[in-house]
Amino acid sequence: MIKCLIIDDDLDDQEIFLMCLKKVNTDINCLTMSNGVEAVALLMSNTDYIPDYVFIDVNMPKMNGIDCLKILKNMARLKYAKFFMYSTTAEGAAVTESKKLGADDFIVKPARTAELKEKLTTIFKIVSEIA
Amino acid sequence: MTGREQSATANISASNIYKRMIEEIQDYAIILLDRDGIIRNWNIGAEKIKLYTEKEIIGKHFSIFYRAEDIEINLPQTLLNEAFTNGRASHEGWRKRKDGTAFWGNITITAIHDEDSTVIGYCKVTRDLTEKKIAEDQLRRSEERYHQMVAEVQDYAIILLSPAGIIENWNIGAQKIKGYTEAEIVGKHFEVFYTEEDRKIGLPGKLLKIARDKGRAAQEGWRVRKNGTKFWGAIVITALHNKDGAIVGYTKVTRDLSQKKIDEDKLAVYMAELEIQNSELEEFAYVASHDLQEPLRKIRTFSELIRENYDDKEFVIKYFDKLDTSAKRLSELVKSLLNYSRLSVDSKTAAWTYVNLNDVLKEVEEDLELLIADKKATIIGGMLPAVTGSHIQLGQLFSNIIGNSLKFSKTEPIIHISSRIVEKQEIPDVPKNLIAERYHLVEFKDNGIGFDDEYNRIIFSLFKRLHGKQEYSGTGIGLALCKKIVENHKGHISASSGHGHGAVFNVYLPFASE
Repeated sequence: MIKCLIIDDDLDDQEIFLMCLKKVNTDINCLTMSNGVEAVALLMSNTDYIPDYVFIDVNMPKMNGIDCLKILKNMARLKYAKFFMYSTTAEGAAVTESKKLGADDFIVKPARTAELKEKLTTIFKIVSEIA
Repeated sequence: MTGREQSATANISASNIYKRMIEEIQDYAIILLDRDGIIRNWNIGAEKIKLYTEKEIIGKHFSIFYRAEDIEINLPQTLLNEAFTNGRASHEGWRKRKDGTAFWGNITITAIHDEDSTVIGYCKVTRDLTEKKIAEDQLRRSEERYHQMVAEVQDYAIILLSPAGIIENWNIGAQKIKGYTEAEIVGKHFEVFYTEEDRKIGLPGKLLKIARDKGRAAQEGWRVRKNGTKFWGAIVITALHNKDGAIVGYTKVTRDLSQKKIDEDKLAVYMAELEIQNSELEEFAYVASHDLQEPLRKIRTFSELIRENYDDKEFVIKYFDKLDTSAKRLSELVKSLLNYSRLSVDSKTAAWTYVNLNDVLKEVEEDLELLIADKKATIIGGMLPAVTGSHIQLGQLFSNIIGNSLKFSKTEPIIHISSRIVEKQEIPDVPKNLIAERYHLVEFKDNGIGFDDEYNRIIFSLFKRLHGKQEYSGTGIGLALCKKIVENHKGHISASSGHGHGAVFNVYLPFASE
C-alpha cells in the first residue's frame, strides 16, 4: 500500500485532494495534517511511519510549507520519499526555494478536479514504472 | 706760468670734463635753467628723451615740456617755487615730447646758489620711467580687477584668514551667505560660522590643520549665519605660502548648498516613500493573485463537483454550503482590500485636525463595549497625547489594535495603553522615511497569546495570518490597515512578543504641540 501524507491548513483543499486521490488509486493510505508543526511532531514521535509521498501546502500559519520541507528533507528515514509543494499560485521565490531544497515538483492547485487527478496519475505512474 | 695760473687751467679743464660728462649722459635729461625757468643748457639725455635739439630748445621756458592741464594749474612754477624755497623739488608725472607724445617723467629740480646763497638757477634732472609706469599701471589694474572680482562674487563667500584663523577679508558673497557686513566680521575668528557642537569637537582647528599639512581641506556641513539660522556649506580651505614655504594665511571659499541639501534630503524621503509604495504594489499583486484566487478556485471546484454529483442530494447540499462560504470569503476579502486601498485616497482628502487620543480611546471603548463585556476584558488607559491627524483613521487604528488583543486571548484580556515622548534615534530599526525628530510613543500591551517574535514584521502584511482560520476568524487585514494608517500619519508601528507572553504594539506618531 502506498503511504501518502498531505499537509494543508485548508480543510476544503484536504477534502478535495483526498477525493481525487481515491479516484486515482484506491490502494492508498493518506494521512492529513493541518499544519507543519503538527506534521513534524507526528514524524518525530511516530518513527515507524514512513510516507512515500508528501504533499505540502506553501502558505500555512505557524510554520510555512518551505520551512516544513526543510525539516522533513533532513529526516534520514524520509530519504526515499517524494516531496511535492502544493499551492494556489506558483510564486517565483517559493518555487525556486522549494526546488533548491529538493522538492520533486511544485503543483499549482487546479480549479478543475480532472486536472488534479491527471497530475496525481502521472506522479504515481512514473514512480510505479521506476519501481 | 704762475702756480695760480696753472691751477686755473687745471680748474678749467676739470670743469670742462665735468661739463662734457653731463652733456654726454644718455639716460637722464640734465638741464640747466636760469632763475626764471629758461633753458640754458641741454644734454644728449635730454635730447633723447624730449627729442628737441640743443639749438631748438635753448632760451625756451621749461614749461614747454608740460601738458596744457598742468600748465593751467601752474605746475612748472609751483615746482620751481618749491625748489627755490626748499632747495629741491621732486615730481612724477606725464610730460610732453617735441612730437607731442607723452612720457612718464621722474623729475628733480635742484636750486643752484651763489656765494651769497642767492638762487642763480636750477638743475633739472629728468628720467624717463614710461615703461616702468605702464608695467606698474597694468599690474595695479590687474590687482584691482582681481580684488574687485573677488569682492563682487556673489555665489561664493571668499575669505582671507590669517595663519591663526582670523578673518582679514570679506566679499559680497560672504555677506550674502553668512549675513555679516565686512565691518562686523573682519578681525573675528572664523569659528563663529560653526555650530556649537562643531566648535566643541574643534572642527575649525582641525580643518586649518588639514589645510596646513596637506595644502587643502574640504568639508560639507551645517554652518551658522549671523541670525543664528543654519545653512549647508561646502567649504574649501587652501593654505597660502610665501616664497620660503611658510604659511602666511588661508583662503576659505564657502558655497551655500542648503537648497541642494534640502533637495537631496527631499529626494531621499521621496525615494523611501516610493520604495514603500512599490512593496505595497507587490503586496497587492500577490494578494490579487493568491489570496483572492484561493476562494475563487474553490468556487470553481465546488461547482464542478456539484455538477458531477448532481444526483447525490446530500453531497449537493454540503457543497452548495461550501460554495457559499467561499463566495462570502471572497466578498469579505474584496471588501477589506477596498477599505485598505481607500485609506491611501482618504489620507489625501481627510480632514487633518488636532486629535486628542484620549477621546479616540473613549470612542473605541464605546464601540467595542459588547465585545469587551463578553470577553470580560479590562482596558487600562494612561494619559494619552494629542496628535495631528485624521480622527477617523486614528479611531480605526485603536479599534484594530484593541480588537486584535481582544481576539487573540485565552484568558480575560487586560490591555494597558500608555504613552511617552521619544526621540527619533530611540526608535529601534527606524525607517528611513521618518521626517520628524520627536514622536509620541503609544504602547498597547496585552496578556494574550502573543506571537513568535520572528513574525514581528510579517504580521503587518496584507492577509498574513499566523493562526489557522479554524481557530481565529478574520481576513488578516487589521494590522495591515494599522500600518497604513500610521504611515499616513508619517509615523511608525512595530510589534514585539514572545509566544504566550502577550503582545506589545508600539505606535510612533510625530510629536505635535498645540
